[in-house]
Parts: sequence; C-alpha cells; structure tokens
Amino acid sequence: MTIKVGFLHSLIRPEEKLLIKEFESRDGVELVMLDDRKLAFNLGEDHFDLNVVLERSINHSRALHALRLFESAGIKCVNTSKVATICGDKILTSIALEEHKVPQPEVRIAFTEESALQAIEAMGYPVVLKPAVGSWGRLLAKVNDRDAAETILEHKVTLGSYHHSIFYIQKYVEKRGRDIRSFVIGDECIAAIYRVSEHWITNTALGGKAVNCPLTDELKDVSVRAAKAVGGGVVAIDIFETAKGLQVNEVNYTMEFRNSIATTGVNIPKLIVDYALRAARG
Amino acid sequence: MAECPVCGGTVTTSDDVVEGELIPCGECGSELEVKQVSPVKLAEAPTEEEDWGE
Repeated sequence: MTIKVGFLHSLIRPEEKLLIKEFESRDGVELVMLDDRKLAFNLGEDHFDLNVVLERSINHSRALHALRLFESAGIKCVNTSKVATICGDKILTSIALEEHKVPQPEVRIAFTEESALQAIEAMGYPVVLKPAVGSWGRLLAKVNDRDAAETILEHKVTLGSYHHSIFYIQKYVEKRGRDIRSFVIGDECIAAIYRVSEHWITNTALGGKAVNCPLTDELKDVSVRAAKAVGGGVVAIDIFETAKGLQVNEVNYTMEFRNSIATTGVNIPKLIVDYALRAARG
Repeated sequence: MAECPVCGGTVTTSDDVVEGELIPCGECGSELEVKQVSPVKLAEAPTEEEDWGE
C-alpha cells in the first residue's frame, strides 16, 4: 500500500530539500506538496487523501492553524497542533516545562510596563526580555540595569504590537561562549551540537558555530523530558549548561538541522522521515 | 540557468531544483525563490516576517 505524505511547507530551505529527497528515496511513498500559501480550507467539508502531514512551514501562525485544520479533517500530523501551540509560545513552553519538573532558568511574566519592571528588579540584573512568539533570536534584549529596562519596556509598549506588551522575562544565564541544541525524535535524543558564539545570542541563524556535543545521560534525560513536556514528536531543545546542571531554554517544533548532520554524523532527515512514516502506519 | 530578477545576472540552478526553493544569486547576493521549475523562473524571496522561525 502506498503511504501518502502531505508535506506542509512554504519556502523550501536546505532542511526541506533534504527531507524531500529522503521521502523520494523510499519505496511505496507518495509525497504531496502542500504549500501553505496556496491552501484554502473548507471547514467541515475537507477530505484529504493523506496518511500523515509533516509540517515544515516557515510561518508559525500558518503552521499552527494548518495543523489544527488537518487534524480536524482526521489527518495525523507531525508535529501535532498541540506541540506547535506550546512550542510556538515561550510562556506556554515554560509552563509545560514547569508542570513536568523540567529544569529551566527563572522566568517571570508580566503584562504592564510597571509590573514588568517590578519583576525585573526582583529578579536582579541581567535579565533577557523575549517576545513570547518569535524565533531566530529576533528582538531578544539583554537588560543589564534599570535604565535599560525602563527604555526597552517603553519601546516595546510604544512601538510593538500588543504581543510585545506580554513580557516574558528570563534570568540571564552566563553561557561561557556556548549552549547546547539537542534533537529529539519520539522517545530518543538522537544527536546534539554545541552552538559556539562570542555573542550572548548563540543561534546559528545569527552566526553561532555548530560543534558536535557528546550525548551524556543527563543531556539525553533532560532533552527527552523536555520533548515529552511539550507533547513529543520531532523537536529541538535549546539547553544552557549551568552550575545547577542543564536547564532548558526553548523547544523548537520545526527544527532546523542543516548545520548538524555533518557535525554530528547523524542522518537527521532520515530519522525524521522514519518517524513520520511510522506515524502514518499508525 | 535563469535570470536574477534583481540584478539581471545569470543564476545556475541544480537539476533537482524544486518550486519554492530558496537560492542565492551569485552575482548580487539576493535571496531568490524558485517560482517555476520548467523553465526555471525566479522571484525575490519574501522578506522575513515576525513569526518566521523554528
């Protein structure tokens, strides 16, 4: 029996290209390209001839809603809309991590300039202000003192949309030039890299360099627990090394891995495709 | 081979190019999107939006 895989995407980046090639190398698999810019759902009337949808959209909002719509039409999705909902919002991610006792840096959330400033002062400097929804290190602000806090909070309220007045405040963690990105598929932590950068933001999208990171028992345990906390599936975990042990920073549900295949020696797209096909077979 | 819509330069594409693929122009550095495969037609890639990412 042919397995029909819906490939939800917008722009095709190196990760999507690698996944497409991997699907095309498999016998008995038909890949159906689903460009989110061309989709129009007819709620309650849609019938998709698909066994699974693999989500690879670049827009979080489109991915989230398309996944929910495919699920509503009875299609199994990787990842699920629940995972996208949680991972796409740093506040929901931190709540899920807390509820599953997964270690993370101190986090406070506030909804006004005044209460955010009070929270920051109570935490002590430095802290990092992050948009609840956002990626690739965009609009992160390291706040070193009260002057900076007042300025950044005012700018966010004045210049930003309402999303930027939901203040996610994370205690700054001194990373000593690197953090960890681990990759989890299902119940297994398959690989990890150090993201090395002299800048306090280590995202490879901003120039952080990928170096292989050995999988220790602690790293595997924290990574899999973080993945399970957000609902499981195919996720990448950003982790800080601290004096108190490993702490989870963020969980990503449309993970990028172009810099991590050669670095780790792990065929990440092959393992993602294996997982998606297992999901399709039920 | 296709023409860069930004600088008019020649962009070489691989045989397995797919619709929607992002490729850079080697001459002007613009990020381009493959809008059509046969023959290859390119357009400037959309600019990054607030909810883009992982």
